Amino acid sequence: MPREAEPSLSERTFTLQAISEGLRLDSRKLDQFRPLELSFGDEYGVADVKLGKTRVLAKVSAEVTVPFSDRPFDGIFQITSELGPMVAPSFEVNRPTETEILLARLLEKTIRRSGALDTESLCLIAGQKCWSVRVDLHILSADGNLIDSSCLAVVAALRHFRRPDTSIEGETLTIYTAAEREPVPLSWLHSPFCTTFDFFGEDGEIVLVDTTWLEEQLRVGSVTFSLNKHGEICQISKLGGKPVEATLIIQCAQMALAKSKEFTDLVDARLAEDAKRRDKGGLMAELSAENER
Amino acid sequence: MSSEPVFVLPGDHIDPSLIPSHPKKPVRLGPGLRHVPPSDLLPTLAGQLVTDRQKNAIRVETSNGRYIPRVGELVIGTINKSASEVYFVSLSDYTAPALLPQLSFESATKKTRPILAPGALVYARVTLANKHMDAELECVSASTGKADGLGPLVGGMLFTVSVGMARLLMMPKKAQQGKVVVLDELADAGLQFETATGRNGRLWVDSDSTKTIIVVGRAIQETDQKSLGADEQRKLVKKLIKELS
Repeated sequence: MPREAEPSLSERTFTLQAISEGLRLDSRKLDQFRPLELSFGDEYGVADVKLGKTRVLAKVSAEVTVPFSDRPFDGIFQITSELGPMVAPSFEVNRPTETEILLARLLEKTIRRSGALDTESLCLIAGQKCWSVRVDLHILSADGNLIDSSCLAVVAALRHFRRPDTSIEGETLTIYTAAEREPVPLSWLHSPFCTTFDFFGEDGEIVLVDTTWLEEQLRVGSVTFSLNKHGEICQISKLGGKPVEATLIIQCAQMALAKSKEFTDLVDARLAEDAKRRDKGGLMAELSAENER
Repeated sequence: MSSEPVFVLPGDHIDPSLIPSHPKKPVRLGPGLRHVPPSDLLPTLAGQLVTDRQKNAIRVETSNGRYIPRVGELVIGTINKSASEVYFVSLSDYTAPALLPQLSFESATKKTRPILAPGALVYARVTLANKHMDAELECVSASTGKADGLGPLVGGMLFTVSVGMARLLMMPKKAQQGKVVVLDELADAGLQFETATGRNGRLWVDSDSTKTIIVVGRAIQETDQKSLGADEQRKLVKKLIKELS
């Protein structure tokens, strides 16, 4: 297995020196994100997020299965992430690295355990039939800040996704194709987003957002906030690293809230654009069998 | 040689008129070409076909991809680790390291050889590059015993550029036909800096001011990634200088 690439001494000292002077290598401000691009595929449930050179693709799929016996009223919802040799030769298939495990756990906590998707609505016949929704996350290229971009991609893909419409008459379950009935969106409760803050300096007093791969290698600690636009925190994780001041954490939380609102607006705007693109002839409202809530 | 550049894809047929035919010298094949006996020439890379009638040589030039060491080229390497006699030097990420004998520095003896920590940068020349073998480097001219500017690079910052950009930067001014003017423009704008380019797509920049280093690095990287023309490069430099002040 090839070794993980490491920055040279010159890169280390210079980057840290520049950060302590308040400068970043790409001339961004310390609290500025790289240009963020979100686009949806032709199919429902494909979201592509580009953040600088980082690129993440999320694909949602659904199938009908038998629910778990201990949870007969719940559907199945899982997120799988994949970091393969395409990202860097140091990542191997079927041998998850620490980065990959932490990413998977964080997404699990942020999106699944925070109840963003109403799994009860995925149940079709209690104990017998339910929808199994699966998100496949493909990291296409990694240049730092995988967590924020992955979370955004997963949330956007799930909100974009439409599952086939179903009906139950007596004991018979009918699943309609897209030609018969317009597919329906998932029952989505809230959109949590991650924002990662990286600490630099002797006591971790300098805070950066959206770090590149090089900066990520040199940080002394990091904290990830997951929260929705209403300021409801799903999780905060600070995994090791230098201890930082409590006041700094609170400032970070404020910034995370602002960022979360920004992300929400971005996803809403892109979803609206995409809906407009698909709504040819303005017939979508009539095609939909859903009731207004 | 025709002025129109010729591009080939792997497996393409090469027009016989493009292959140099010197009366005495044998044809020399450069990288990206393969001789299929008895008399066929097939490109193995996608890129520009370059012929040198004087040397009776032909090769394919690409601007992307991983660096493959070739004898005589100047590279910037990062020391990985030190063994008893040699340093292991990485020329590009995730590839087998090249070997740099500890005695191949200017006036180095067993007692006075430079001690380089892992992560230190060296400017070196490739002396041995065979297929299926680790490449070898030197930081001293074997014939004169002088460093000629090679050796450890201290301080500064290392930027990664494409291999094609590194080639352009290392070309003599006349040969590159004014394709890269960023560095000259930056110097004309009054910035003081020092650069070293490695053929392996590395650019080392040093200056007294942190801001200058960042500006130079960004200018080169943007020129490379967006493949800017000369006029666009001048515009970019103007923009960067404005941001600086």
